[in-house]
Amino acid sequence: MQLLERFGMDTITLAGPLEAKLDAMAGAGFSQVMVNARDVVGHPGGVEAAVNAVRASGLRPTGFQVLRDFEGLSGHLHGYKVDIAKAMLQMCHALGSRVLLACSSTSRHATDDSDALARDLRKLAMLALPLGIQVAYEGLSWGRVIHEYTSAWDVVCRADCPNLGIGIDSFHIFAAKTSLDPIEALDPAKIFLVQLSDFMWQDIPTFEDRMMTARTFRVFPGEGVHSEELADLVLRLDAIGYRGDYSFEVFNDDYQQIPLPAVAQRARRSALWLRDGVLHEPAPLPIRNASQR
Amino acid sequence: MSMSNMRREAVPERANRLGIAGIEFIEYATSRPQALGQVLETIGFRPVARHRSREVTLYRQGDLNLVVNAHPDDARVGALVDGPPTISAVAFRVRDALMAHSRCLELGAWDSPSHVRAMELHIPGIRGPGGSRFYFVDRWNEFSIFDIDFCPIPTVDPKPPALAAMSYFGLVQYVGAGRSADWLAYYAELFDFAEIPQSLRFGILPKGTLLRSPCDRFLWQLVEPDPQMDEQDAPETLQRIGLGTPDVPAAVRLLKGRGVEFVESSRLHPEDRGALTRAVLGSVSFELVHRDIAASSALSLPEFGETP
Repeated sequence: MQLLERFGMDTITLAGPLEAKLDAMAGAGFSQVMVNARDVVGHPGGVEAAVNAVRASGLRPTGFQVLRDFEGLSGHLHGYKVDIAKAMLQMCHALGSRVLLACSSTSRHATDDSDALARDLRKLAMLALPLGIQVAYEGLSWGRVIHEYTSAWDVVCRADCPNLGIGIDSFHIFAAKTSLDPIEALDPAKIFLVQLSDFMWQDIPTFEDRMMTARTFRVFPGEGVHSEELADLVLRLDAIGYRGDYSFEVFNDDYQQIPLPAVAQRARRSALWLRDGVLHEPAPLPIRNASQR
Repeated sequence: MSMSNMRREAVPERANRLGIAGIEFIEYATSRPQALGQVLETIGFRPVARHRSREVTLYRQGDLNLVVNAHPDDARVGALVDGPPTISAVAFRVRDALMAHSRCLELGAWDSPSHVRAMELHIPGIRGPGGSRFYFVDRWNEFSIFDIDFCPIPTVDPKPPALAAMSYFGLVQYVGAGRSADWLAYYAELFDFAEIPQSLRFGILPKGTLLRSPCDRFLWQLVEPDPQMDEQDAPETLQRIGLGTPDVPAAVRLLKGRGVEFVESSRLHPEDRGALTRAVLGSVSFELVHRDIAASSALSLPEFGETP
């Protein structure tokens, strides 16, 4: 089966043991995997066995996720989060992953001072640097201070560290209804990860609704109601020169209870739509006819 | 124009927040300390002291301290069984070791565990590239750390003179593909190292990115893998030591007389600017670099903004 070079699945999308998830992904033609920490530490054989499973699968790690609520804390809370970050960086390194995903803080204990946020992210990047890891900072749509890719980009620029960039997640863009126009101003070399997913209704105005939808009812690109916007997003990223990976971050309770190969085939269909229908060859969308080319 | 003349004018001081003032010692880790010791002796280093509790020997010539760590419990040594020796640590002279260590941790460095036994000095350190460490030493003026943790080897001159007036010129670090900018940011953030313009180069292997220490006493060279020649995923290491000497050809003659072999090819061979010793034990080589002035002085580098 032909490998889908730039697209990968996320271990959080599938139920079951890590090896079964990796098999299903490879079986559907994917060549990379976004690894969730829970799949590593929850492996019955421990972290080492999980690392061996990923290496044996032949799938390249797209990245490792997710470090939460790191920036903006002080005192003992900051020290605690530094310890957590170091543990995650060590696992990320052991997996051979070059990217750690860090999501914007939702903590009410965190400051809103931009300089402090930037200083903490710079410190996180320094911790990651000797390990050869890039930190992709993502604005969660329910983040307390940073909840859009635009404000995440501002903090990343303020922190100004070569191995600190942004992670873009289409879910949060659609949930927060952030304009795609500012993508033009992004430096493609500083986009370290793009995660794609959609959902099946138009509006999720409250943070609570966003969280609920994000964690239970995301769908693959092309399966939701924002296919036009999603295609537009990918084309705009392509236009500014982004040539990195696309990972499908699809949290979905239904996909957790159907056979893994069936879910992986849905992911494959999505990747083929993006590869052949959006990025290369104009073709009808599987759900809504929204090709921009 | 010499640097002392330039400093009569109002040249802004460069940041040196750790008060770095040179290299106190460089450490090799090896599971074959005798074999490495023989190599070091051909370069002019003499064993002068042994660690009180660990299998560690201090070699010295002039102001150059070089420590050979063969302690079997050290993970860095354990990883090298039958493998080549590696440069496992660099100790910087700083104004206040505790302050330097604390500041680096605050900025995102990884702490490095200490193995102190009773009555030994705790030398604070952080993790460096690969499995290496950076140590901070502030007791180098009034007395030496080696007076406390090491026992002198009887009948040996504790301060043998340096061959060919050699001094530490710098370190060469191999970095991953596309990683120079990362490491440049790292060294600038933690140690106030600053990049030297591409137009200014030293020695006979002028590749990569060259950084100057804030004290101007040594340089740091970052070398990425050659896209055509090298393995792109090779580990990042402190690769070799650069030794400054005022007369490279004389130093080469002297070292050849002691059995040291130099790389001599059409592309690379000893010249006035520098020379490279042939790697022995699988990894150990030294680069000689022309340096005008004495070891304790600053390198003769132009100030920022001045055209070299």
